[in-house]
Order: sequence, then C-alpha cells, then structure tokens
Amino acid sequence: MSRPAIAAADLGYSYGDVRAVDGVGFEVAPGETLGFLGPNGAGKSTTIKMLTGQLRPQQGTIEILGMRLPDRLDDVQGRIGVCFEEKNLYTAMSGKENLVFFARLFGIRRFDPEPLLDRVGLGGRGDDRVSEYSKGMRQRLMMARALINRPDVLFLDEPTDGLDPVSARAIRDVIRAEAERGAAVLLTTHDMHEADSLSDRVAFINQGRILALDAPEALKLEHGERSIRIRFRSGDGVEEEVVPLDDPGAADRVRAAVAERDLITIHTEEATLEDVFVRFAGRRLE
Amino acid sequence: MRGPIVAAIVRKDARAFTRDRFFFFITILALVAYAVVYFFIPSNVDETVTVGVHQTGLDELIRGVAAASRGLAVAEYDSSADLEDAVTRGADGVVAGLDFPTDFAETVAAGERARVRLLLPAGVSEDDRLLLEGIVGEVAFAVAGVPPPVDPITDAVVLGTDRVGDQMSLQDQMRPMLLFFVLMVETFALASLVSIEIQERTVTAVLATPARIGDVLAAKGIFGTGLAFVEVLFLALVIGALAPNLPLMLVALLLGSILVTGFGMIAGSFGRDFMEVLFISFAFMIPLAIPAMAALFPGTAPLWVRLIPSFGLVDVIGGVTTDGESWREVSGALASLAAWSTAAFVAGSMILKRRVSTL
Repeated sequence: MSRPAIAAADLGYSYGDVRAVDGVGFEVAPGETLGFLGPNGAGKSTTIKMLTGQLRPQQGTIEILGMRLPDRLDDVQGRIGVCFEEKNLYTAMSGKENLVFFARLFGIRRFDPEPLLDRVGLGGRGDDRVSEYSKGMRQRLMMARALINRPDVLFLDEPTDGLDPVSARAIRDVIRAEAERGAAVLLTTHDMHEADSLSDRVAFINQGRILALDAPEALKLEHGERSIRIRFRSGDGVEEEVVPLDDPGAADRVRAAVAERDLITIHTEEATLEDVFVRFAGRRLE
Repeated sequence: MRGPIVAAIVRKDARAFTRDRFFFFITILALVAYAVVYFFIPSNVDETVTVGVHQTGLDELIRGVAAASRGLAVAEYDSSADLEDAVTRGADGVVAGLDFPTDFAETVAAGERARVRLLLPAGVSEDDRLLLEGIVGEVAFAVAGVPPPVDPITDAVVLGTDRVGDQMSLQDQMRPMLLFFVLMVETFALASLVSIEIQERTVTAVLATPARIGDVLAAKGIFGTGLAFVEVLFLALVIGALAPNLPLMLVALLLGSILVTGFGMIAGSFGRDFMEVLFISFAFMIPLAIPAMAALFPGTAPLWVRLIPSFGLVDVIGGVTTDGESWREVSGALASLAAWSTAAFVAGSMILKRRVSTL
C-alpha cells in the first residue's frame, strides 16, 4: 500500500459518559473506497467529524495526506471534500450561487460551476433556487459541492440515503469516477448493497468499535454462509429447502432433490454483507 | 481571520437577507413606517393655557392680564352657565374658568374680599389649580393696586435646560425611540439568520472548508453591524437626527449597531426555530427599549433605567438632537455605550462560537 491518504489510529471520543468512538483505527489508500458500515449511533459520524477537523479527537492520531490533524487543519481542509448527511445547503440561493460561494471559501476566485453541475446531472437547473430542488437534486448538489476543490480525499456521509434510484445511481457513478481519478473515499452508508458495489474494503462499526475490516468478498467468504435454495411443488403448495454448501452432505441432498422433487427453481446464494454484519454485531442494520 | 473568506461570507449573508422576503419586507416596512410616524407626530408644543372668563365690566383688565402673562389666553363667556358648559366640555381649548361676580371691581377697590368661582374640569392637577388661583390674585392686584402676598416668579429657579417657551416636541422625544426600534428589528433579523445557519447546519459545511470559526464570527459581526448601521443611518437622516452633530451621531449609532448585533448573535445561538428566535429576541429587546420609552417622559431616569445597556445610546441621541450637547457633555453616556457594546459583542461571539462547536 502506498502512503495512506487517511490514517487513523486508536481514535476515541466521548459525549459525556457515552463512548461514541472507542479505539477506531484504519487506513485508506489513494484511489481506494472504504465503506464504513454501522447502525445509527455506531460512531460513524463522530469518526468523520474527527477526520474532517470538526471535532478534536480525545484519543488517538489522524493523518490526512500525510498531514497531522489538528496541527495542519487549514492545509488538510483545502484538500478534502465533505458530503454531509444533512442537506446543509443555502436554500435561498441558487445551485450555482452555492457552489460559487464555497469555491470562494476554498480560495478559488474564478470558478465555473456549470461543468460540475452537468457532472451530477443538474445541468440547466443551476440558476434555480435550492428551495425549489427535490431531495435528490439537493443531494446531487451536495455531491457537487464536495468536489469543488477537486479533493484528494472525499468523506461521504450517507450520500444516497433516501434517494430515488436515478439520483442514487448518478451519485454512485460520481463516487466511482472520483476513486478512479485517485481520490481516497470514505463512504458511510446503511445500504449494504451500495457498500458492496462501491467499496474496495468495508469496515463494520458498532458501539464505537470496528468489528471487522476487509474486502466485501473476503468478509462474505470468510464469515458468510453459501447455500443452494431449492423451491419445489408439494401438493397444492410450494416449499423450499436451503442446503448450506459447507455442509458435508450438500451434494447428496441436492442430487436427491433434483431426482425426487417436482422442482420449480434452484438458486445458489452467497452470504450478503448484511448477514456478515449480523454475525459480527448480533443485530441488523436499521 | 482572512479577508477574502470573511468577505465571501458577508456577501452570502447579504444575499440570504435580501432573498428572505419576510425580513426584507419588515425592514423596509419598519423604515417607512417609522419615518411616516415621525412626520405625523406634532413638531411643536402649544404652551398656551386658555382660561374661560365670565365677568362684567372687567374686559380691558382681563385682557391686560392675559397679554402680560406669557402663555395665557382668555376666552370670554356671556354667562356663568355658558362658562360652566365650556369648562365641562373643554370647548375652545378652555382648561378652567373664572366666574367673577358682577360687583368684583367695586368690592376689591373697597378693600373687601371678593369671591371668585374657579371652575375646574374633573381631574385637574394641583399645579393647574394653583396657577389659576394666581391669575385671580393678579386680577385682584390689577384692580386694587395691592400686591399679592407672594410672587412665585421671583422665586423660580430652573434646573437643567430652561425650556419655558421652547418645550421639547413629541417629535424630538420620539427620535431616540424610533432609531432604537429600527435597531430592534435588525436584531431579530440577524438572530434569525444566525439561527437558520445553525439549524440547517450550513455553518458546519462552511467550517469543513479552510474557513475558521473566527472568519464566521467576524463575518456575522460585520454583516449584522453593517446592516443595522445602514438602516439606522437612513432613518436618522430622514428624521434629521444627524444634523446637530454628524460625527458624534455616527459614532453613537455605530456603537448602537454593535450593541444589537451582540444581542442578535446571542438570540440566534439559542433559538431553535422562528418562534423561539422571536421570543428570545423580544426577551432582550423589550428591556433594552425601556430607556427609549423613558425618554418620552420628563425628568431624570431612575438608576435602574440608567443601568440598561441601551441607556447610553438613547441618552446620547437625546442629548445631541434635542439639547445640542457636545462630545464632552455626552462623554459619560458614550463611554457607557461603548462598554456595553463591547461586552454584548464579545458575549454574543463567545456564545455563538460555543453553539457552533456543539453541532
């Protein structure tokens, strides 16, 4: 692994007596997307706040692009992009005005927002006030805002939460493109399928601790269950049988089903990230 | 604090303010309404007291007394009944009546005591009653040539500005209040802008860029103070409050703008929605308006009113615009205003900074 774009070690943060983040550590390489998965209150947002300089860690160290936080906060914040979970846009201003304003904060004096708006599918709507935007359009604008300074590190907090499929796909396409460009992406999400499709690696976080961190495929293979689901007619009804592939008698059970049952379908199934998460956390993601 | 970042935030705030139809509307409305109210209120004070008189044979004498008495006018009536009716109804501006007996002149000239009926409307003050009794004495003196036992005029000493014949008009008295009310409106507007920024977490997005909290606070301070100052300056210009001493008024109004900006930041930090911001803003503004209200009444403000942060502002405006006071004469009030403005601004900045850090 080349020098990590994000390097967090033993991070800790408490809100009063509540331990929100407890010994979290990980690294993200340039061009890599790390999915940060966990239920509400798991510590994802607090971790992102520490990584983006909004919170000072009470424990542990952070380096972004080789620069230590909070010592070099100004330098770091000039090279990162953040897409917040809240749609914190200036609704009285147009999409273009929002982007131009944030460009000024990054010290970009001459900024043309059109290409960025086109890129997130908001071309032609840049002059409309954000108050007139749908939820999906606002989220796209948030994504565009996070890209204003062509960041080397992207922090994306639930970027597709509650979006229609078209908007969600548009945002996922942008995330992939940014990673291909070489940006390190830290993506928090509830959506296991999204994490699976976008992430090079995923980290499961629960109660402030990282429970597992690996490539999705590796986690599924190592901790999930592969099976064959057989559906067949039985009398007037339909029944199904699930045969775990790791079961020593799996092949015989499948052969017997094919020979003896009035089959409807046979499907192979592999474990989902959700299944793996449940195995680690003892609960489902809500 | 970095200039380009602060300037960008100020420009953004200005845009957000002008785009908010509600605040834009109430700001314009307040400016227009206060200006209109100012020009509708009386600009002079009628100090003439009209006394109704029924008498027989004293016409010249009564007119002579009236002419010799500054601010006294006489309305004559043919009968006691007409006089009573005029006093009761306040007709012709009559505030009291003197019903002289038909043999008044003869009785007084003979050195005997004459009885004059003094007719007073319900609720007349003791001062007015004494004044009218004095007039009766004057008439008696004029008829009999014998001086009354006491001449109150020779014993009168006016403390402070002698405004006899030059009373402060309601317009003059209202000036500090109208100017302060404009600042009040802007306190609410700024508080709402700050509150919206916090509630919608847009400030979080700003702080995830190279902008720092110091830049945000500086921008809010500049925008809030600038907005309040421009508006109060406009009204001051319209109602002629700048003319007596332009530099002194500019300094006072600028300090007043800083004062309300501090309170606006405090209210905006605590308010979680429009109604809360409204409530908190008024919780600050109503006590702050007390000195402006107190300026409408004559006399020295009690100590507790003088301790209210806005007292210095009202005192300077009143002193400069009505009494033509100089820098030296208002220096105490100006120093008090400067101290309160600094305290309010520092407190507002600290509270807002703390609020933002908890987001």
